[in-house]
Amino acid sequence: MEKKNNKKIVIGAVVLAALLVVFAAVYFMNKPTAGAGAKDITLEVTGSDGVTSDYSLSTDAEYLREAMDELSENGSGFSYEGSDGEYGVMVEVVNGERASYAEDGAYWALYVNGEYGQYGCDSQPVADGDTYSWKYEQAQ
Amino acid sequence: MNKLSSTNTDTLSKSKNRFSTLDVARIGLMIAVIEVSKFALSAFPNVELTSFWLIMFTLFFGWKVVILVPAFILVEGAVYGVHLWWIMYLYVWPLLVFLTWLFRRTESVWFWAFLSGIFGLCFGGLCSLTYFVIGASAGGVSAGIKSAFTWWIAGIPWDFVHCAGNFLFMMVLYRPIKYAFKRIS
Repeated sequence: MEKKNNKKIVIGAVVLAALLVVFAAVYFMNKPTAGAGAKDITLEVTGSDGVTSDYSLSTDAEYLREAMDELSENGSGFSYEGSDGEYGVMVEVVNGERASYAEDGAYWALYVNGEYGQYGCDSQPVADGDTYSWKYEQAQ
Repeated sequence: MNKLSSTNTDTLSKSKNRFSTLDVARIGLMIAVIEVSKFALSAFPNVELTSFWLIMFTLFFGWKVVILVPAFILVEGAVYGVHLWWIMYLYVWPLLVFLTWLFRRTESVWFWAFLSGIFGLCFGGLCSLTYFVIGASAGGVSAGIKSAFTWWIAGIPWDFVHCAGNFLFMMVLYRPIKYAFKRIS
């Protein structure tokens, strides 16, 4: 019984160690990365009324949230608020308009060059020439 | 064997094969323990005692835990609302209980710490299956794989936290809780 237990412990330790190495390797090979340097980007905001506002920015930001912070601090008129959670910032208010999923199923959706974003704004890499769009959307 | 001990054995074997009032009360208490632990640790992302309790309850309660898991998932949905994570719970927690049940005769704290750690590490990967279904339903299998993969990758650092938390909780709490369970059983 003791021998059997020891075998299971060794197998458990090996499996855990192997998974830790594999997961770390997969993460570092695939994590969102961005290059530093001057990048010209466009940020669009489409509110619940369908009106779109454009903001242009030259930035060294690596991730979109830093670029949004720059925009909100340089007097462009862009502003946002959000709450930090397990998977990064959850944007709740853009340009003063709140999207509340709990109340009416509304949320701020992030698009990158017209495609639905795969990351939150604090892990979305900023690339030269990209257009990032915040759109007020409602769940069907 | 005298008549009295024979009757006791019959009662015990019957109670092992069906739910008694005590079992129902215990299930309620177990769910309460999980929910309170979860709420107490809600400030620490991916640090949870649910895995620990489900493993211990399965070891202590045996097959009757099949009622505990759906009841716990229902309570979770009722308290926090039914969202995507709730769909993930439908298969993630039963999988942990099933794995625990498979290895139920193992009594090593190290083994359970490794199993709990592995489960925490794989939690994001398991949950990403839901994103595969969503992505695949919208844009085919490749879109499903992309959705699941990017979601899993983004959460891997938190899976490491989950793994460490599960491992440490099991190492620290396994023996005292096992001792307590033996006293009340």
